[in-house]
Amino acid sequence: MKRIVDVNIPLGPIHPCFKEPIRLKCEAKGERITGAEVELGYMKKGIERIMKGRPWQEVMFLAERVCGICSVIHNMVFIEAMEQISDIPVPPRAAYLRVIANELDRMQSHLLANFSYCYSIEHETLGMYLLDLREQVMDELERLTGARVTCAYIIPGGVRCDIPKKEAEALPASLDRIEGDLRRYAGMFEGGPMIALRSRGVGILTQEAAQRVHVVGPTARGSGIAVDCRTNHPTYQKLGFVPITRPDCDNFARVMLRFDEVFQSIALIRKCLAELPKGVVRGGGVCKAGETRYSGEAPRGELTYFIKSDEFGRIVEIQIQTPSIMNIEACCHEMIIGSDSIADVTATFISADPCVACTER
Amino acid sequence: MVWYIREFARAEWIKKFLFAKTAPLVTPSHFRGFPEPTGKTCQHALFCMMACPAPGAIEVVHAGDGWIPKIHKGHCIRCGLCVEACPNGVLKSGRIRETMEREGTSLLFSFRIAIDKDLCTGCGNCCTACPVNKQADAQMGAGGHSSNDDVIMRVQEGDIVVIHEDKCTGCKTCETSCPNGAIRIARILEGYQQPVQEGLQ
Repeated sequence: MKRIVDVNIPLGPIHPCFKEPIRLKCEAKGERITGAEVELGYMKKGIERIMKGRPWQEVMFLAERVCGICSVIHNMVFIEAMEQISDIPVPPRAAYLRVIANELDRMQSHLLANFSYCYSIEHETLGMYLLDLREQVMDELERLTGARVTCAYIIPGGVRCDIPKKEAEALPASLDRIEGDLRRYAGMFEGGPMIALRSRGVGILTQEAAQRVHVVGPTARGSGIAVDCRTNHPTYQKLGFVPITRPDCDNFARVMLRFDEVFQSIALIRKCLAELPKGVVRGGGVCKAGETRYSGEAPRGELTYFIKSDEFGRIVEIQIQTPSIMNIEACCHEMIIGSDSIADVTATFISADPCVACTER
Repeated sequence: MVWYIREFARAEWIKKFLFAKTAPLVTPSHFRGFPEPTGKTCQHALFCMMACPAPGAIEVVHAGDGWIPKIHKGHCIRCGLCVEACPNGVLKSGRIRETMEREGTSLLFSFRIAIDKDLCTGCGNCCTACPVNKQADAQMGAGGHSSNDDVIMRVQEGDIVVIHEDKCTGCKTCETSCPNGAIRIARILEGYQQPVQEGLQ
């Protein structure tokens, strides 16, 4: 007679499917997962401690280095929090340029997340296609800001440089090319029967469970909850931003939602370029004392900075709340419970797009 | 199966498969690399050192009878702030310098001296170490006393008094000489752009 024994299966911290070190301890009955715990702490940097006592021009670069994949949003949220403290107005042209940089960053982050999902369900061809597309997006980011990852584009009262006329004309053409390619790849993902077998109905996070564990970002929107911090941002409100949701609640919904959001980002950038107001890109303004809590929508969900600064604009206290921690919790306590095989555990975990560098800072 | 054949029988794919050619690796002109000298004379304003967010990445050193900024590449994070901060256009990186000239952007510096009265013992080390004080009053003694009104700060009746905060060049020499960490120089940076006329963009 076949005996089913309870085993404890550790996944990670070194695992080919994980981008960053994290350990998942799964309790399994045979191969069915009955419970899981997550173990963090493999890449703590203590970056909030380093930030203390420094002025914005130093903290800005540290904030970018919290996370390598979503660096622009860390820069943006930190600087906009400082602007809120010191009442620095942003010129309209700079506000639109910020949105362009941020959406390009979101595109490359979502493409990387979808690459890593395809990789974890062993569909490497599609994964490599997406990675190739991500390179093109990063080239666009480099053309706009001068660097691929740590752009350092946003400063208090504006942005570092205006978009050159040549790039402003070339950007829509390359967006067209990216959109065409992406439409093909998203179609491949949507219609692939093998992909559907590995993704549809796997890693269910129902809407009630999602509300209970407070998931954020694409993970929440994939479960049908329309939460998005961009709806509170004045520039996005001007652009008429409406969050996308999908009701399916499984891995497939989360990955397809990211594809949808990349299309949405492309549309937002096009709208920005069409409506780009004229004028200066830097308005000036000195950082002052105060404290605030400011949130922005990172590619993975709500990112919050709590900042207290002294009279010279130096950081006295700073706390960063990153989106991934809620998603990782939800992932190991809700999504992977009841998975039928260990192979689904990694795929489900990656579908929530955990960013360990953000989480541990 | 049919789908796979259709996918890989595309002319584009076959062309890619047979005649794949990687473009040569060249650094694009817009890439923000390590700062390089433009050839203009360094005026020893030291704003590059003050703007630099990475510790010890740039220092201005003697070269013959002048000064040159020296980049330590292991420390430099290629942010390009030194290029923007330099008032004399000594450094360049990517297209930052030409963008600045075209758009009229610059970084404005101002310095504030913050002294923690509870930590300060009035030893006067900061006053004697300050290079601006040395120029204003070469006679300043070890206690930091001075009868000269042109100095940035001096010790009066056992307490430190800041007279000319505006003269501070932000070098932070006082910070390193303070035994208690009582004096802190705040470097306040402001992004600025000259208003542009309509139609230039």
